[in-house]
Amino acid sequence: MKSRNQLLLFIILIVLALLFMFPVIWVVLSSFKDKTDLYQWPPSVLPSHFTLENFATAFNKGNFGIYFMNSIFVTVTSTVLLLLFNSMAGFALAKYKFKGDNLILVGFISTLMIPLEVIMIPIFKVISTLGLFNSLWGLIIPPAATPTGVFLIRQYLLSIPDELLEAARMDGAGEWKIYWKIIVPMAKPVLSVLAIFSFMWRWDDFLWPLIVITDPKKYTIQLALSNFIGEYNVDWGSLLAMSVVTMVPVLAVFLVFQRYFVQGMVTSGMKG
Amino acid sequence: MEGTVKAGRKPSSEMTTGKWKRAVAPYLFVLPNLLIFTVFIVVPAIFGLLYSFAKYDGLNPMKFIGLRNYTKVFTTPDFWSAFGKSVEYVVISVPLIYVCSLAIALILSRELAGKGFFRSVFYWPTLISYIIVGLTWKWIFSDSFGIMNYLLGLAGIEPVQWLTDPFHAKMTIIVATVWSRLGFYMVIFIAGLQAIPQDYYEAATLDGASKARSFWSITLPLLKPTSVLVVMLSVIEAFKAYPLMKALTGGGPGKETTYVVQYIYQIGFDKQDLGLASAMSVVLLVIIAGLSVIQLKLTKGGGAS
Amino acid sequence: MKTKSKWLSAALTLTLAFGLAGCGQSAESSKGSGTNTSSPNAEASKDTQKKTNLDFVWFSDGNEGEVMKGLLKQYEEKNPNIKVNLVEVAYADMNTKLKTMISGGNPPALARVSDTSTFFNQALDLTPYVGDPNAFAGQFMDTLKSYYVTKDKKIIAVPLDVTANGLIYNKTLFKKAGVEVPTSPDKVWTWTEFEAALKQVMDKGGAKYGLVWDFSTHRWSTLLYEFGGSMMSVDGTKATLNTDNAVKALDFFVKLHKDGVMPTSVWLGGDNPNNLFRSGTVAAHLAGNWMLSNYKTIDNFEWGVTYLPKEMTRSSVPGSKFLMGFKNTKVEKETADLIKFLSSKEANGKYATDSLFMSPRKDNAKLDYAFGKEMFEVFANELAATPAEAGADWSSELANKFQADLKTGIVEVLSGKTTSKAMLDKMNKTVDTIISENK
Repeated sequence: MKSRNQLLLFIILIVLALLFMFPVIWVVLSSFKDKTDLYQWPPSVLPSHFTLENFATAFNKGNFGIYFMNSIFVTVTSTVLLLLFNSMAGFALAKYKFKGDNLILVGFISTLMIPLEVIMIPIFKVISTLGLFNSLWGLIIPPAATPTGVFLIRQYLLSIPDELLEAARMDGAGEWKIYWKIIVPMAKPVLSVLAIFSFMWRWDDFLWPLIVITDPKKYTIQLALSNFIGEYNVDWGSLLAMSVVTMVPVLAVFLVFQRYFVQGMVTSGMKG
Repeated sequence: MEGTVKAGRKPSSEMTTGKWKRAVAPYLFVLPNLLIFTVFIVVPAIFGLLYSFAKYDGLNPMKFIGLRNYTKVFTTPDFWSAFGKSVEYVVISVPLIYVCSLAIALILSRELAGKGFFRSVFYWPTLISYIIVGLTWKWIFSDSFGIMNYLLGLAGIEPVQWLTDPFHAKMTIIVATVWSRLGFYMVIFIAGLQAIPQDYYEAATLDGASKARSFWSITLPLLKPTSVLVVMLSVIEAFKAYPLMKALTGGGPGKETTYVVQYIYQIGFDKQDLGLASAMSVVLLVIIAGLSVIQLKLTKGGGAS
Repeated sequence: MKTKSKWLSAALTLTLAFGLAGCGQSAESSKGSGTNTSSPNAEASKDTQKKTNLDFVWFSDGNEGEVMKGLLKQYEEKNPNIKVNLVEVAYADMNTKLKTMISGGNPPALARVSDTSTFFNQALDLTPYVGDPNAFAGQFMDTLKSYYVTKDKKIIAVPLDVTANGLIYNKTLFKKAGVEVPTSPDKVWTWTEFEAALKQVMDKGGAKYGLVWDFSTHRWSTLLYEFGGSMMSVDGTKATLNTDNAVKALDFFVKLHKDGVMPTSVWLGGDNPNNLFRSGTVAAHLAGNWMLSNYKTIDNFEWGVTYLPKEMTRSSVPGSKFLMGFKNTKVEKETADLIKFLSSKEANGKYATDSLFMSPRKDNAKLDYAFGKEMFEVFANELAATPAEAGADWSSELANKFQADLKTGIVEVLSGKTTSKAMLDKMNKTVDTIISENK
């Protein structure tokens, strides 16, 4: 009986997955189509013949090797900083009561509402004043303080029993030790989640690089991709090809980190 | 579990220093984040606020005009019509996203063959840039050249105006939204579900509780912090939604799917009226902040019950 | 957990490694580009010569970026103390990039712009550098003058290429339906005749649709001028959007949709007309000469360019891209020199020929294109037959203030929400207000 239910569930999942994947599969297949196939009517799913010409054209258009390196540097560094800063802040907001804690929380959340475009010019002025113009650090530092991350971690940490922390304090542990040795390990699932998100956000960042970077040698992947979109013409072949290529690292990161969701969590203290 | 705490008790003088350290600690923890946040978001936001009191096109010198922009905001029907459309979009998409992502998360956080594979499948759409999402969905739903209508035509059914009829356009956008955001919230839910100790479920089963009962009495209440997070984030995201609509319908037909943030961008950048756009952003921000505060108060800080 | 700390320390080490690499990189590059330091000249790292760096913000539609890079290399060889940094940005992000750079105190030396009115006050006045301003401006087509020469005779930009709206058609489908296209300008269709011809191509040639039209006010206005209307009076003192001719033009546009000759999915659904035309199921595309380099790669059907229909008069609509320098860059002289080079007969001619564009220079009217020579002649002919109102309308800085609203208005008429007359009456009032506000 149970295995029949399992099987049913499995089948439903497969169907859902196929429906979900259908547009994505189309994108991937289309990147292998030549120009005639791309614009065909009736629309086609499979390429009439697989070709790598889109990938070749796209790679030849610019220094994609450099753009990849830049994107990786920015993404990894920013993610590490973000995990550190956000978890510290989330911990403070979840497990301490201090003056201004609600103000900070609401402040963080409210600013999620500010459309970046409206404050773009002042942001540029700030970046310029700090000497971060045209520097990759200008892409790394500002987004490392994302409110979403703090909020995410705070909510997660709320479930950790205060008694655990009190016990540690009784035993003489300092606050930093509590953070580093208790909180961080326990927060592995949410930190994995945040790592995945941060990787995705920084990898797909467009507006920041557009504002901050002027030297083509410092372009990130997304900035380079946008150049396939002209005023009247869109180089669909190259755009599709490069989009597929840029999806790979983020997907890889996801596959690696999603295992950590499984890793054990807080038990109510009865088990070891 | 990690156990590096020392045994033994501390003398009282160290306890008071400990207390002081404990009082200062939160400020130190919050500091790096707060610093970056203040410099790169708060300071520019204050500038943005200043713009809202001026006539400014981003290039030529500002001219202060006091509250004129704000009066304009409250007397521009187009803004409120866009806002109304946003509200409609939020009210429909948020519950849909919540239910769907929770359902998938529930299924995929149990023991199941190919879990990793399925999670990746549902997460993948979130990785795709909005331009490609727009292109893909247009390929499927385009009135004259989309595959949906082609298939319907083969089945002898009349083609549907997926993107040119206001009602269908809105529907298509909601479907595209759920498709591209489900994975994101699914991941958050999975992490949250993992936080619930297994022993609660075991105890419940021992007591003879059904799966449904376990869900309503254990899962949902203990999931509250995550639920609050998901709802708040998705509401804010839905109000801010812009790149997806732009790529899919361009805000059309006409202005039917022009939601509030797209409208603000048009004012700020097509019409070059950055002052008015800032004022609109401020009004929007106040409304959303208000909603967030209410949400937090209602859920008592968003903690687990 | 142990694995966690291992992972963390690995990540930190990796970050440090990257960080050092990155620092090294940025230190090197900041030596190279000197535009964001107080002195315009870059600190000479190892070169004995001081190189002046010019940031050139650019957008491409097809291959013109590559062509420009070639020209810049040529220029750098002749002028070894100049280094030009081509900053490629997507067309849609041009204004954002320029605005943030200028307002943030780091203006680029020059940029390729399509709209000269936005950066009117920040543009470099080239008059001191070009010798006799009248002679200089006289090298370029007269219709473009109002775009880049201000009322007080300042030259704020120089034309780089000129575009013309025109009619591209699917030869294969037309042949199949046995429909002939006009072979000379005196034999052009009227719009009614053209619609009938398209219907025939649909019936006999199997085309799904007769005509696709770019979703742009600029392209739509072609019809307006052909019907004898215009957006404003030639002197720009009053709006003329609700004249009988204008209403007739819009009504005809709606008719083409209602009759099923044009798909509603372009103007109402955001479908891309390029894609539709390329699928080979549409008989014609009302676009312009910029499509030639894109359509060059079509191999599943034959296509060509023919003359636009007329109603009261023939008309195309001019467009242009410009090179604009900016103030306060401290490299104004070098910028002006570069602009003069790029707009000279040879350089400009090469640029136009290789990118498949039309040159704005009078002495480059007949270029030796490797592809589509006859097509360019048609476009040039269309431009020559364009009434003054078209150039006057689109070179005015007011056009940008209302063209988006006009587009939305047309969409509303198409979706049946309002009538042509009602919408145009309303728009006319709006435009008159804008005119009086900007006197």
